[in-house]
Amino acid sequence: MRLLIALALAALAAPILAQDALVTTEWVAQHAADPSVRILEVSVDPGVYEKGHVKGAVGVKWHSELADPVRRDIVSRDAFVANCQRWGIAKDTTVVLYGDNNNWFAAWGYWIFATYGHANVKLMDGGRVKWELEKRPWDLAIPAPAPTQYTVDKVATDLRVRLADVTAAVEKKSAVLVDVRSPDEFTGKVIAPPGVQELAIRAGHIPGAKNVPWKQAVKDDGTFKPVEELRKLYADAGADGSKPIITYCRIGERSSHSWFVLKELLGYDDVRNYDGSWTEYGNAVGVPIENEAGTVWTGK
Amino acid sequence: MARRAWIAAGLAVAFGVSAFLLHDHEGASASFSALTGFALGVVFQRSDFCFASGVRDLVRARRRRMALGILAALAAGTLGYAVVFGLQMPDPTGAYVPPTAFIARAGWHVVLGGFAFGAGMGIAGNCVSTSLFRIGEGSLAGPLTLAGAIVGFVLGYRAWPFLWSHAVATAPTVWIPHHVGYAAALAIQLALLAALALVVLWKCPPEPTVAAEPATPAVVVRRIFVERWPAWIGGVLVGLIATAAYLRTRPLGVTEELGRLARAWSGTVRLDGLDQIAGCTSSVQRGLGDNGWLVLSLVWGSLCAAIAAGQFRMKLAPARIYVRALAGGVLLGFGAMISVGCSIGVLLSGVMAMSLHGWIFAAAMVAGVWMTERVLPRG
Repeated sequence: MRLLIALALAALAAPILAQDALVTTEWVAQHAADPSVRILEVSVDPGVYEKGHVKGAVGVKWHSELADPVRRDIVSRDAFVANCQRWGIAKDTTVVLYGDNNNWFAAWGYWIFATYGHANVKLMDGGRVKWELEKRPWDLAIPAPAPTQYTVDKVATDLRVRLADVTAAVEKKSAVLVDVRSPDEFTGKVIAPPGVQELAIRAGHIPGAKNVPWKQAVKDDGTFKPVEELRKLYADAGADGSKPIITYCRIGERSSHSWFVLKELLGYDDVRNYDGSWTEYGNAVGVPIENEAGTVWTGK
Repeated sequence: MARRAWIAAGLAVAFGVSAFLLHDHEGASASFSALTGFALGVVFQRSDFCFASGVRDLVRARRRRMALGILAALAAGTLGYAVVFGLQMPDPTGAYVPPTAFIARAGWHVVLGGFAFGAGMGIAGNCVSTSLFRIGEGSLAGPLTLAGAIVGFVLGYRAWPFLWSHAVATAPTVWIPHHVGYAAALAIQLALLAALALVVLWKCPPEPTVAAEPATPAVVVRRIFVERWPAWIGGVLVGLIATAAYLRTRPLGVTEELGRLARAWSGTVRLDGLDQIAGCTSSVQRGLGDNGWLVLSLVWGSLCAAIAAGQFRMKLAPARIYVRALAGGVLLGFGAMISVGCSIGVLLSGVMAMSLHGWIFAAAMVAGVWMTERVLPRG
């Protein structure tokens, strides 16, 4: 009986937990001037923030402030600390991220904040799409936050996998791989979407991976689908939380979006993002690949 | 009302309806680009705003009208940009430049590009923006210059890998406010423009003045819709339009869509330094881009203004005019490609953004026109 009550409580608590990582546009509008909240815009396209943003939001440049500009890696710990201090973020600040393109890079930013152990980080559901659909105003003023003290106490190592972890997982079949790219990229008909510069030498997907394009997780207004719908979507692909899950895409940003769904909305314990993604795996030597489209390498 | 006024009004209304519909189908930035283009076309046509004639008249006949108009545009746009910059980037001394402004690397490729562009202007007698608004006036040479420019772009793409390795990749990006702050940058730039204006005023005789006449409605209508506007009025309006375009969409430029056409046509796949990391967004564009809407609307705006003024004329010119239009176009396209912009994108939008490369382009372009004036027979 006690077990049943505990299970019932857990079931009740799960949706509350799930909601915790998301805030609504209305919540953000109300907390624009709240000193315990820092709103960050992470948009893919440069210049979007400058043309108008949520009042009080600080603009984050993903090329240089969330990524290491020289080596291929996420922003270094020291640079992350320096950036947070400049953005006026303290350890107990509630950080709310949003951006263009259905929050792709905002979710990537979320994953980096989580990696560097920031306790209170949230995503604004729907991002810029929802804000505009609700006919809310954009602001032009650039805030100048007072610098803060910030430290990273512990770097989370259980949110990210490297190539070696992925090949080991493939060999031992120890994880469910979720490929969030388009079906054509997944089957190997194309290496990357048209116009994309960063390519791979081979097309296809990691053996055993299941294709759940990221877009299936969102509604037309940019917000995430209801939790139960999401649970079914990923469970149908075998990602139900019973086994560790690895998400990947082409360069690791879209997969952060799906990582966010699995880890934060569905609350699965072991979900990791493979940010090397296809531009690393498809270029790696000696790793197994599945290519259903049959676009095998020829000399023709 | 004269028949031509009805036709022009009809065309203008048709444009307004198109821009309204464009908003629903292609989005706000396409519609705003179209409105910007239309306004530019009207202002260019009404004030005869032309870089080629600005420099050529100065060199050849010591006529100062258009040169002063261009300087007025640069001064007005510099002030407008400074207002926007101050909002977007309160402190310019950090590690970044405003993300969408045309602030680019200042290397010897800009000297080469500016000179080639100036030579092309001298040969064709037009630059790219002038060719566009002359098409609205019925020019048959304009389309040839644009066709030549596409060929020039392709030649530029061929040269780009060499230039990138030997000039562009290591050239510094010099944004004047980054080094001296906004106040000093504005002071330097406005002082330089004023000094150039003084030299022009000093070296050239005054233009004939228009006789004063009472401002009856008929006179006002004639002055606005039929007679050319003073060049400085056109210049100030260009500065305002440039500021609005930068604030809402992108800095003014008229060669982006041409370059895209040339690139698609020539099958140029990769251009180092020009193709930035796209993130996850796909840069492939379907249909016409914002810049395409701007260019088409510029022609349309010029057409309306020209018809209203009775300045729309289609007549054949001697064959050598067309040969020169085409050949000059090739140099215009080549110069615009390797400098990543033309007299609008680099000279106007670059100088207004207080980027050194805009000034370098301007100086090299004037030298290019001057050289062709010396070497070529006048035609």
